[in-house]
Amino acid sequence: MELKHVNYGYPGSGQLITDFTASVPTGQILSIIGQNGAGKSTLLKLLMGSLSPSSGVVELDGKPISTLSSRKRAAKIALVSQQHQIYDEMTVKEVVKTGRLPFHSLLATITDAEVRPFLETVNLVQAMDRPLTSLSGGQQQRVWLATALAQEPAYLFLDEPTTYLDIRYQHDLMALIRKLNVTQHLTVIMVLHDINQALKISDQLWLIKQGQLVKAGTPAELLDEQLLSQAFELPIKIVEIEKYGPYVIQLTA
Amino acid sequence: MAKERSAYVIICLALIVTAILALMLGTQFYSLPQLWQALLGNRPAVLSTVLTFRLPRVLAAMIAGGMLASAGAISQAVFRNRLADPTILGVTSAGELFMLLGGMVLPAFIFQKQLLALLGGLVAFALLANRKTLRQPYQLIIVGVALNLTFMALTQLFTKGINVSSSLGFNGITWSSVYSLLITGFVGLVAVLLMAPWANDLKLSDEQLASVGVPVTDMRLGLLVLVVYLSADVTAAVGTIPFIGIIVPNIARYFVGHDYQTILPFSMLSGAWLLLVVDTIGRLVVLPSELSAATIMAVLGGPFLIILVQRGGFHGIKAR
Repeated sequence: MELKHVNYGYPGSGQLITDFTASVPTGQILSIIGQNGAGKSTLLKLLMGSLSPSSGVVELDGKPISTLSSRKRAAKIALVSQQHQIYDEMTVKEVVKTGRLPFHSLLATITDAEVRPFLETVNLVQAMDRPLTSLSGGQQQRVWLATALAQEPAYLFLDEPTTYLDIRYQHDLMALIRKLNVTQHLTVIMVLHDINQALKISDQLWLIKQGQLVKAGTPAELLDEQLLSQAFELPIKIVEIEKYGPYVIQLTA
Repeated sequence: MAKERSAYVIICLALIVTAILALMLGTQFYSLPQLWQALLGNRPAVLSTVLTFRLPRVLAAMIAGGMLASAGAISQAVFRNRLADPTILGVTSAGELFMLLGGMVLPAFIFQKQLLALLGGLVAFALLANRKTLRQPYQLIIVGVALNLTFMALTQLFTKGINVSSSLGFNGITWSSVYSLLITGFVGLVAVLLMAPWANDLKLSDEQLASVGVPVTDMRLGLLVLVVYLSADVTAAVGTIPFIGIIVPNIARYFVGHDYQTILPFSMLSGAWLLLVVDTIGRLVVLPSELSAATIMAVLGGPFLIILVQRGGFHGIKAR
């Protein structure tokens, strides 16, 4: 998956992404970091093909992503958002079944057996008949992850997946994502708020500012006080914590 | 599961018993043995009354009830609003207005009433459904109610105050209307059962549906056309009968849960039963005259709607 000279602007709100060229490392975990409003989520949408660039091209397997039908795209790319909304009661299994829609006719009825393996992966088989809303935030996020996995994607996108989770659930979710990346060779692309979380879990990072790529590289390459201070417009210090490693802190009181 | 199954058994039995009672009751009471004798050909007068007056009416009430209830349930799925229903959103009154105007200015053509009611319904939905009303449940209902009143007033304006809908209704319904209703109704109800999974899919946000590759706009449009088709057909045959589409699906949810693949068939059966009960009662309470099903439904439906809103059963957009 590649971005070639991609530009994008919402009508009336100016340029959001400017001349963005980068390629997504296959089979790795990539995190996009940057200030609020830097264009992280817009970039994610461009990569997923849910937004079309005003110029430039996003390619998937060498072809422009815009040439794929939405169903074909859904069988390659899945998304877990920071917050999902449902408008009526749904059980866990009913939610996960919607992940199988790209593989069936729209009128088909999907069986429980078909979604069981995905619920097993996120360890929620025993909750499959429960209403989604009766689950904790962390469990709900795992249901949405199972839904994304049910699409059997090659690329898994996560848009700030840990925002509403406490630190325990954040840790569990990140561990699960690493496991999926290793066992299922998933390419993972995440937008993360928490720099330290991003540095810890990612193989590659894109640091962006005002819609432009500041630096793409490994966590070690991005651990640069000056670089991060400039990108976040804050004094930033990197400290070494025993048994953890380098940790980014911001120095404002 | 057990609760669901008993709910289905009970509603089927109730439907059969009520249908038999509806054939027995009327200005003249026929006992079961009398009906049986008539069926064997021994009582031609009884058979004639039953076949000419009561049977067409029973069949029409049942199919119309099923159609209105499923139209209501589907509107609720599409608008993500438990109060959405074609009769209070102006869809059926637009149909009546178009039928009236079309009848005045156009030459007669085949399926004239049905097609005009369909067109009117589509116009009403086009006026009703936009980004704002889809996001704000109260706004949808208020705009719908305003549309409904406007179309009703226009209809009265063109008829110089004579209420046309009272001239329709189940009283004196002919076999030809019943046949047409049965055929179009059967087609519509089969479509409802086939498209039930879409109603479930619409519980997800549009963004989520798009990310699993579902053409959500087409889906919503398809379901809306089905709603207009069902309610327009009933309107063309018997006029507007309000509230069935709100009362029945909301009660169905209580008995069979929230899955549209069970809500919809159950709503069909219960809608059929409710409208049959209401029409039969209407035939009997003020003999030799009668009360229209629409009037009784309005009397029952108003309070039900108030209870539904006050008890918090009004789920417009419900976040997780």
